[in-house]
Amino acid sequence: MSEAAPHLRLERLSRHYAGAPAPAVDAISLDLPRGALLALLGPSGCGKTTTLRMIAGLERPDGGRILVGGQDVTALPPHRRQMGVVFQSYALFPHMTAAGNTAFGLEMRGLGRAERARRARAALEMVGLGALAGRRPRALSGGQQQRVALARALAIEPELLLLDEPLSALDAKLREGVRDEIRALQQRLGTTTVFVTHDQTEALAMADLVAVMNAGRVEQLAAPEEVFERPATRFVATFVGRAARLQGVLEPGGVLRCGGLALRSATDLAPGPAEAYLRPHRVRLLAPAEAPPPGFDNLLDATLARRVYTGEVIALETETAAGPVMAELHAGADEAWRGLAPGAPLRLAFRPADLAVFPAP
Amino acid sequence: MIGWLLAAPALAVLALAFVWPMAGLFRISLNRTTETGAMETALTTESYAKLLGDDFIRELVWNTLLLAGSSAAIAVALALPVALMVRAASPRWRGPLALMAIAPLLVSGTARLIGWMAILGDNGLINAVLMGLGLRDTPYPLINNWTGVRIGLVESLMPYAVLVLIAGLGRLDPRLEEAAATLGAGRVRTFLRVTLPLAAPALLAAWLLALVLGISAFITPRLMGGGRVFVLATEIYDLALEYVDWPAASALAMLLLGGLVLLMLLRGALARLGGRRA
Amino acid sequence: MRPSWMLRLLAALGLLVLLAPGALVLVVSFSAGDFLTFPPPGFSLRWYAALFSHPGLMAALGTSAILAALVAALALLLGAPAAYAIARLDFPGRDVLATLLMAPLLLPTLVLGLGLLLVLQPLGLVATWPGLMLGHSLVAIPFAVRIMTTAFAAVPKELEAAAWTLGATPLRAALRITLPNAAPGAIAAGVLTFLVSFDETVISLFLVGPRLTTLPVEMFRYAERTTDPLIAALAMSLIAFALLMVAVVERLMGFTRAMGRD
Repeated sequence: MSEAAPHLRLERLSRHYAGAPAPAVDAISLDLPRGALLALLGPSGCGKTTTLRMIAGLERPDGGRILVGGQDVTALPPHRRQMGVVFQSYALFPHMTAAGNTAFGLEMRGLGRAERARRARAALEMVGLGALAGRRPRALSGGQQQRVALARALAIEPELLLLDEPLSALDAKLREGVRDEIRALQQRLGTTTVFVTHDQTEALAMADLVAVMNAGRVEQLAAPEEVFERPATRFVATFVGRAARLQGVLEPGGVLRCGGLALRSATDLAPGPAEAYLRPHRVRLLAPAEAPPPGFDNLLDATLARRVYTGEVIALETETAAGPVMAELHAGADEAWRGLAPGAPLRLAFRPADLAVFPAP
Repeated sequence: MIGWLLAAPALAVLALAFVWPMAGLFRISLNRTTETGAMETALTTESYAKLLGDDFIRELVWNTLLLAGSSAAIAVALALPVALMVRAASPRWRGPLALMAIAPLLVSGTARLIGWMAILGDNGLINAVLMGLGLRDTPYPLINNWTGVRIGLVESLMPYAVLVLIAGLGRLDPRLEEAAATLGAGRVRTFLRVTLPLAAPALLAAWLLALVLGISAFITPRLMGGGRVFVLATEIYDLALEYVDWPAASALAMLLLGGLVLLMLLRGALARLGGRRA
Repeated sequence: MRPSWMLRLLAALGLLVLLAPGALVLVVSFSAGDFLTFPPPGFSLRWYAALFSHPGLMAALGTSAILAALVAALALLLGAPAAYAIARLDFPGRDVLATLLMAPLLLPTLVLGLGLLLVLQPLGLVATWPGLMLGHSLVAIPFAVRIMTTAFAAVPKELEAAAWTLGATPLRAALRITLPNAAPGAIAAGVLTFLVSFDETVISLFLVGPRLTTLPVEMFRYAERTTDPLIAALAMSLIAFALLMVAVVERLMGFTRAMGRD
């Protein structure tokens, strides 16, 4: 097998539930290199969990193929797929201890008692739970249960690690720490991983690749920064992060005519009705008489409409001739900026490449 | 397919114990009873005709329906506050309350009727109180008559009614009543305008179940009636085991069955209607 | 909303009606008198002594206990796979199967008993063990299936899915994961099925004879003839036994849930 061959490949994978008006998963294709972490990101009902369950073999596809290491596993039942799955509910066996849970997969593989115990122990120690091996799931906290589920999935040395919203049942405070631990462990073991989440921060923070899903389709498959900074579709632009929407008409040369203004963009779309999305962190606030930095070719006069303090940043909602535009201030910014009151005049600047332009719907 | 395979042994035993006897029952109901009382193999509806033309049987049908209908209604009326209480109780009390109301289902019916005899008999609790207070000189007849049968039947139907009502009321959001209260409705008005209309489908379901069970009740009319109360069930029993008139007993059982199936279809239709509305 | 005093009062009335017969049986069974009189003229254990030395009733008790144990075992053995199929598997006709298995519970036991008498009599199977077992299975199997379906359904499906992904075949996952977790429910089903068979009266009335008879039938016949504190002592013993079983079931899976319909 060549180094470049994808470890996981989905080919036009589909699932249409009987009676549903539209397919839950609609001919998804993607490649995942060995050792990478893929996040399936999307709103509930977008088909991300169904996709994961099809990879695990828990759901039968209506069409398409699943290849792991070049082997077609589409027809294999789940117990012959060698996939470590962490369920959203963890699905720990309540009648077995943490060690018993972790050893279960090894037992199914016919390993001897001593070898099972050794490897189960090692897996539990890997997630920092060696001391609690004898506890039943009921006697463990949510975070500990989550780790047992992870240890159980990893103990079988899975071909792929599949995680279904593994953090959603945890307290918000715990979530960030566990997120980073999972990522560190995954990178250390080099296990190819698919991770389902509806939380964009989780996806962006953990993944090598993010697949943004909507209505059973992959809208964009790219690295986290690419997804955030260069959304491929209107859905990605609105679902991931915040953005202001500017409606207008695209003219030759990438000029968006919008509320009497001509905004420059880097798009090569054909002229016609269009809309552009502008992320607040890309908008630069200019002091009176301050010249825009080089490259910030778009200049807008704005009036502050609302100012929302959210802790780390101060979100500014402004009105411009092109429509509402969002900007933001770091909470540590100068006193002069922080004291802005609604009605204050502002000057905004941004680069042509910061506008994500799509044809009007 | 594997599902049917797993259930095949259970289905086979049930077919043997259920389909076969029911087929036998239907077949024998078409036989003829001769003048001497012997059964003669035949294909005739004589037994049905005889039963349908019999004034005594018609009176039995009427008595049975009256007994079962009224007992079911009283049972549901008594069960409603119990079910409402189970729903309103704190989680700590909910379980024990429901347990007390439903546990009688598994206590031998005959054993409970013996308790009623000790309450309602001529030397029982109630007459002891009545005579002790000087309200009566002679015992008030509460047993070996329709009153006794009705009381016993009400009690035996209540746990079923409680069970259906708990299930039905469980689907009602208690916040609806709280909302009514915040809108200024008093307790009585909240009950009449919010709780009762919402509970109506469950009440009807409970009454119909109790009705079906009441119509086919045998032990209670027999023991509490002291051999003086006759309903369809006691008549089927007597025809089969006292008079050994199998065709007549079978025919009457088939008629009872037909009536019950009609009632159950009605219940199913109402349940579907209620389900669509919800 | 806190329940009003009116609701409390009416609910207490309802519970009183349900609990009164048991309470009275308790009092009267310890009577020293010769009849079911209230209040009893005095208290004694004489009727319990008489009950336990009554040869007819004690023989019937033995029969009923053995019969109920056999029927419960049979119902569990046949009912468990069927309940598993209904609770867990997705196959065409699952709802039809569930309805078929429940059908006998919908019909009056009087009619079922009569039907059994009519077909078993010509074969000489009335008042025999096979005849009684068949009759009791008719109510015991649907009952066992219903409770065990609830018990299996209460074990999360995800557990089995997790076992599959860890390499367990469907059969091993069912045996190693679902079955142990459904075990308390299965025991509860066994206890309740035993009780159902042990107390079964109406079907048995048609299927017993002088050769072989059950306790509930003998109790019913006794109560038809005469009512004395002996029958109250028997009733009290049965009530106490039933309550003990209910307590066991409550501990295992929750009685209300076990008895709950749909």
